Amino acid sequence: MAVDEGHRTVSVTINGIEIEVPQGELIVESVKRLGLEIPVFCYHPRMKPVGMCRMCLVEIGFKQPDGSVRMMPKPQAGCTLPASEGMVVLTDSESVHRDRKGVLEFLLVNHPLDCPVCDRGGECPLQNNTLAYGPSTSRFIDLKRHLPKAYPLSQYVMLDLERCIQCGRCVRFTEEISGEHELAFRFRGASMQPSTFQLLDFESKFSGNVIEICPVGALTSAQYRFRARPWDLQTTPAVCTACSNGCNVWFDHRAGRFVRINGRINEGVNEEWTCDKGKFGHDYYNSTDRLRTPLVRKGDQFVEATWAEAYEEIVKGLESAGKDVAGLCGTRIANEGLFLFNRLFKQVLGSRSVDHRWTRTLGTSRVQTPIAGIEGKKGVLVFGSNPAEDLPIVFLRLRKAATRNGTQVTVVTPDVTEADAFATVASRIGQGDVLKVAQEIVDGQSELARKVADCLKEDGAIVTSDRVRNLPGGGEALRLLEDLAARCGAEFNCYPTGPNAMGAELLGVLPGDGGLDTWGILQGCCSGTIKALWLLDCDPTTVEGGDQALESAEFLVYQGVTRSEATAFANVVLPMAAPAEQDGTWTNCERRLQRMTQAIAAPGDSKPAWRIFSEVILRLQPSTPFFNPREIMKAIADADPRFLPGASDLPEEGAILSATTQAAMAGDGA
Amino acid sequence: MSETVAIGTPRPRAPRPEELDLKFSESAVAELDALKTHYPDLKSCILPGLWIAQREYGGWLPPEAIAEVAFRLNRSFAEVEGVATFYTMYNTAHKPGRHMIEVCTCLSCHVCGAYRIVDYLEEKLGVKLGETTPDGMFTIHEVECLDACDRAPVLQIGDQYVGPVTSEMVDKILDDLRKVETPSAVQLSDAVVKVHLRDGDK
Ligand code: SF4
Ligand code: FES
Ligand code: FES
Repeated sequence: MAVDEGHRTVSVTINGIEIEVPQGELIVESVKRLGLEIPVFCYHPRMKPVGMCRMCLVEIGFKQPDGSVRMMPKPQAGCTLPASEGMVVLTDSESVHRDRKGVLEFLLVNHPLDCPVCDRGGECPLQNNTLAYGPSTSRFIDLKRHLPKAYPLSQYVMLDLERCIQCGRCVRFTEEISGEHELAFRFRGASMQPSTFQLLDFESKFSGNVIEICPVGALTSAQYRFRARPWDLQTTPAVCTACSNGCNVWFDHRAGRFVRINGRINEGVNEEWTCDKGKFGHDYYNSTDRLRTPLVRKGDQFVEATWAEAYEEIVKGLESAGKDVAGLCGTRIANEGLFLFNRLFKQVLGSRSVDHRWTRTLGTSRVQTPIAGIEGKKGVLVFGSNPAEDLPIVFLRLRKAATRNGTQVTVVTPDVTEADAFATVASRIGQGDVLKVAQEIVDGQSELARKVADCLKEDGAIVTSDRVRNLPGGGEALRLLEDLAARCGAEFNCYPTGPNAMGAELLGVLPGDGGLDTWGILQGCCSGTIKALWLLDCDPTTVEGGDQALESAEFLVYQGVTRSEATAFANVVLPMAAPAEQDGTWTNCERRLQRMTQAIAAPGDSKPAWRIFSEVILRLQPSTPFFNPREIMKAIADADPRFLPGASDLPEEGAILSATTQAAMAGDGA
Repeated sequence: MSETVAIGTPRPRAPRPEELDLKFSESAVAELDALKTHYPDLKSCILPGLWIAQREYGGWLPPEAIAEVAFRLNRSFAEVEGVATFYTMYNTAHKPGRHMIEVCTCLSCHVCGAYRIVDYLEEKLGVKLGETTPDGMFTIHEVECLDACDRAPVLQIGDQYVGPVTSEMVDKILDDLRKVETPSAVQLSDAVVKVHLRDGDK
């Protein structure tokens, strides 16, 4: 962490090379400017330095007025030492090497060296530093200490106390980054153990991160445990598709099968963190519920079919329904698939009834603050939804803003949230009172309203999510707050929560003029005005009236990655590739367009959504098919210039699309 | 702690604030409130908070006591547990007997015969260091330098130092203690709390 004290620079001499660095920058960071490295364990660039492990010892001296250098008698910890004028640093001297050997020997006294059976072996900082700097043989002949080795701290995180080197990274993560302070060191000296209170459940929604930052194999993933060795893994940069935040991740796979998710750095989005939903929520890739071949209903039974047979069936079904067709989709679908889905209905079939939204009242999102922008806000009102649950990465930024930049946070939600801990005001909304409370805030009379006004008075922002629309009166409440934000010059953000919900919205996967929305479509199925329904990776049986609608639909296509309750009602079932099994672009909740490339092959006969729709369209209407997602992105950009960045090579960190809501393609199709 | 738990099964969770069975007496709450004002933040109040709890919970800090302190000071349970288990004068492992006799066996005391005292105590009470007599009356412990080397060998009982001790004195001490009702850890905790409260008034 660069401790930036103004913009002053100082000159330091590192291994004989003189360079200018910002005053107060930690030496461990300064040496990186010369491409050098100081080995570390406890230091982590995103957390405060503590100097606990002593791995980073270096020799330090100071230039004297007469030009000589006076060395300090003892080595210093590079991770806690701020750069100052005339400092001389040696990272490669004989004594530094001796110190490192000594430190590693001490650390290894209490370490079991069970690398051959340790998940971390092969990507372990302790292993790497020992190889690079440590003693080549051990002088230790005594009995090692014995402690619990496979203790499940939670259903995701396993603790091996023998391997712990007591660096405190995990403890500091829960204290400084996620904020619950759920891990702490118990006992002292060599018996010091990181643990939760009484070793009870580690409940954090961000617990998976400690697995990645632990410099040894003391904290490992219950899911990944013994599933692979790191050197057997291939990895592909990917975007997490568990929610709308679009974290950058590494998608690790082995022999064509998904193995694990690790955080990948994107300073604009997740920095380097992931939430547990994302890190542990991708198991469906290997699920036995995956659909592998198209299925066609024959009487009460599904029979496996070829794609040609399935398409034939679909064309028959759609044609007999005429214009009385509708499409409902989920949001774990790439932009390209959504675009063609929309085109199939609005241009080819001439229906205006498509929707991707599943909240009780429907509306569109509005996002003015990019995720990283939250850090710079002076005041933030969190309204109606728990950000740690619905928008995990937005939550981490919000916490950072509050704890590091002094952002004033006001939380007004139905339930207790993780954000209460750093909020200046936390107020609860009684059952069914969302609208009432919003009205109260807007009226500006009550105590709470004054506090909110105070919070938003200068450079403020409102953070809420589309889940508020599930609460009675939620939609109306959001409208009121949007007006309030406009009046007091604050930014208004109703972030969507579905993985590519923002993409769906920008692409206009919404009912057109006179078309039916989600609830209209489900009703239409029951009343017979909708004869054929296409479900694109969504399951209406989970919502009210869904079962009945699916039962009544004359013709039902279910296209999905895995089997769901809705599958049973379908006439035709189409297996679809999961996100990392295809090329495609994704739009996160701040309108950041990010590209994902195919990591593994889709199982069986499954195809990416865009290909399925391209092939169906071809059978319904003479047209030139699309051969790859890039061509589709070009067509999207042609139709909507906001998507232009996607038509060429996107930068690695993605590109935030402009917000100008020029009547999207909702009206008359793409 | 060495129990085997199946991987991936949900674990029992820490109690929610509303599930806590709070035991602080009214006067203890008042003391804690007074102590809170002595520090710039509540984190600094953890140590005195734990002393109050050790007194309120009868001379030791069971997990519930730690949770209560954390709740009252708005800290996480784990943080307070970390503090409590760091210091040896908080009894977190188990409840001591009514009277806790701590024998200093550090250098000066050792030289002056501390282990003779230990041997005598062990024989007389029939328990080893760290153990409690079956009637729950005495627990004996060995401790590091009590900073009273001039009185070596020295014992600590409650907030009192006794020394230099001889075997004959030990007999008398034990007999006297049997008549004292207040557990020594409670007496010590109370004394420490009083000191904290007084210091703040200055
Ligand atoms: S468990 Fe890992 S991260 Fe935590 S203190 Fe031990 S070595 Fe460090
Ligand atoms: S990295 Fe500097 S002491 Fe651990
Ligand atoms: S050695 Fe016993 S009091 Fe110092």
